[in-house]
Amino acid sequence: MIEQLGNGLLLGLIVAIASVSLSLLYGVTRIVNFAHGEIIALGAVLALFFSSSPSSNFLYLDRYSPLGSSFIVSSIVSIFLCGIFGAILELCLFRPLRRYNYGNVAVLVITIGLSIFLRHIYLLFASARPASYPLDLQKRQDYFGVQLTPRNVQVLIIGSLVMILVGLFLSYTKTGKAMRAVRDSSELASVSGINSDYIITLTWIFSSMLAGFTGIIQGVINNVRWNMGFLILLLIFAGSILGGIGTSFGAMFGGFIIGMLVQLSVGLSFMDGHTEAKNAIALALMIIILLIRPQGIFGSKERIS
Amino acid sequence: MKKYKKYVVAAALLIISFGYIFISNETGVARIFVNLLTFAGIYGLAAIGINVHFGWTGLLNFGHAAFMGIGAYTTILLIPHALGREGVVVENGLPLPLAVILGMLAAALLGLLLGLPTLRLRGDYLAIVTIAAAEIFRLLIRDFEDITGGVYGVIQFSDSLQNMRPNFITNLATSIDVSSSQLWVGIITWTLIICVLIILSRLQKSPWGRALRAVREDEDAVRALGKNAVWLKLQSFMLGASIGGLSGILLAFNYGTLQSSTFVPVLTFYIWAALILGGVGSLGGPALGAVIFWVIISGTDSLAEFFFDNANGQQLAGVRFVFVGILIMFTMIFTPSGILGKKEELLLEIK
Repeated sequence: MIEQLGNGLLLGLIVAIASVSLSLLYGVTRIVNFAHGEIIALGAVLALFFSSSPSSNFLYLDRYSPLGSSFIVSSIVSIFLCGIFGAILELCLFRPLRRYNYGNVAVLVITIGLSIFLRHIYLLFASARPASYPLDLQKRQDYFGVQLTPRNVQVLIIGSLVMILVGLFLSYTKTGKAMRAVRDSSELASVSGINSDYIITLTWIFSSMLAGFTGIIQGVINNVRWNMGFLILLLIFAGSILGGIGTSFGAMFGGFIIGMLVQLSVGLSFMDGHTEAKNAIALALMIIILLIRPQGIFGSKERIS
Repeated sequence: MKKYKKYVVAAALLIISFGYIFISNETGVARIFVNLLTFAGIYGLAAIGINVHFGWTGLLNFGHAAFMGIGAYTTILLIPHALGREGVVVENGLPLPLAVILGMLAAALLGLLLGLPTLRLRGDYLAIVTIAAAEIFRLLIRDFEDITGGVYGVIQFSDSLQNMRPNFITNLATSIDVSSSQLWVGIITWTLIICVLIILSRLQKSPWGRALRAVREDEDAVRALGKNAVWLKLQSFMLGASIGGLSGILLAFNYGTLQSSTFVPVLTFYIWAALILGGVGSLGGPALGAVIFWVIISGTDSLAEFFFDNANGQQLAGVRFVFVGILIMFTMIFTPSGILGKKEELLLEIK
């Protein structure tokens, strides 16, 4: 079990960041976004598109590697493109839906359609085989008893920094406070002079950039696949619900627990030969949480009624 | 006149769809028709199950694949079959009708198990839980190879159904040059759809059916009148689940093999697309939607050929699903009540 600790930390971090972005978006817009996993995958696929050598067979397109195959530059550009994509989604799809008062069931079904659409667009442009970024292979080393590669450690540090920054942003900046105000009550926020349309657009951008970042670190740690978004989406839902959907720090905590649990359960003795079933454990935990405390660990009761 | 408008639209769409198939295929039209209508019937039956959940009661079930799967696995494992990598033959089994009833009961039982903790919660939570439960189910089926055959699946079970095939069906199949076993599955499917629709139309008009619609419209009012709203929702969930189980059994017989990969989440989304297209809440809408859905799907294959030279399976599937996504989005945005649905019968707001 202890040998899985390193992987557990990494997956916990990924699910935690993704859960914050999903949960914030849900809190502010009330959209259960089934297409969130596809925004995560978009970050990973774009970074691969910009950074990989033309000989890699993941993408069918002929590429000229406009960014000189620098992985860091490609990642940053991809994250910003994800933000732009989020803004486009809000402006061209979700804002009109809000204007015409589409019910949230209709919007939920539309996000499912959007998710299927985007995922298979990736499949058409990329091959079904998983691909990796052009980074050199590294050996695992011992860090305080945890087995990690040096790059994994870098990812852990950067990821933790991002999480702290997100926390500071939401707690102390004016925009972050406005987001939380709209989340708690959009009417009260409007009364106090907050432009909720503007805040919702900012939330889409912010949440999509976080999602894109998650996709890239997921791609660095494992690999890039066309359907990686859907695979991780259910874990994110489980994390958000465990911590309390709509909360930020709760979702962070819940996501981390879910990610750790999924990896650590691989080491359990009764899981021998059932590696695929590890996701089932996280999902089962989510159902149990809904049974005993549906608002999640940190959620407030009025959110679920 | 306005009342009949949607039926005119439905008939026109059907004629255009079938006309398209006649024009686009010179040879083997009968074979294509039987294949398409059999699949459409099975998906339509599954969509009728979701319609009981969503259209009648307002429950968001996105885990229909699990109900279909548990129905199929229960039934198939109870009749004579061969299992797994080695193909271990199990010769003894229950008679098919009994096994089918047990399969539907198993699906209803899963509905009860899933519904008990979640039906008290708001609708979007039910959507997440059902999709998660369907994934748990699929992963367990896949991993526990000793019982379910795992990725190798279950084979050689079709005889139980095909032995019942009357001779005239076989003769008909040979005379129009189609697969006799698929024709038989198709005929059974559409017969069952008609039976299920007759039963459902009676249920819909019964006090019980009206109580279900009242739950969808205003749960508190139902409670105030002394009805147990959660129990009503559970009953609806179990009824829809068992219809899903039945369609899963038919799907297994249509494929001739049973594998966990059949019951991926995408199967549920296909069925939702058929349901939304046909019209949520209407009786025959899901079946009609499934037929039109399958015609559109078969149309995308020629589109894939247009975009890619010698499209491979992956590209065909990609184009197909891109269209399923667009279909779901556009139907929901522009005509949320589908072809046959009524706008006032559609629940679009989670309460």
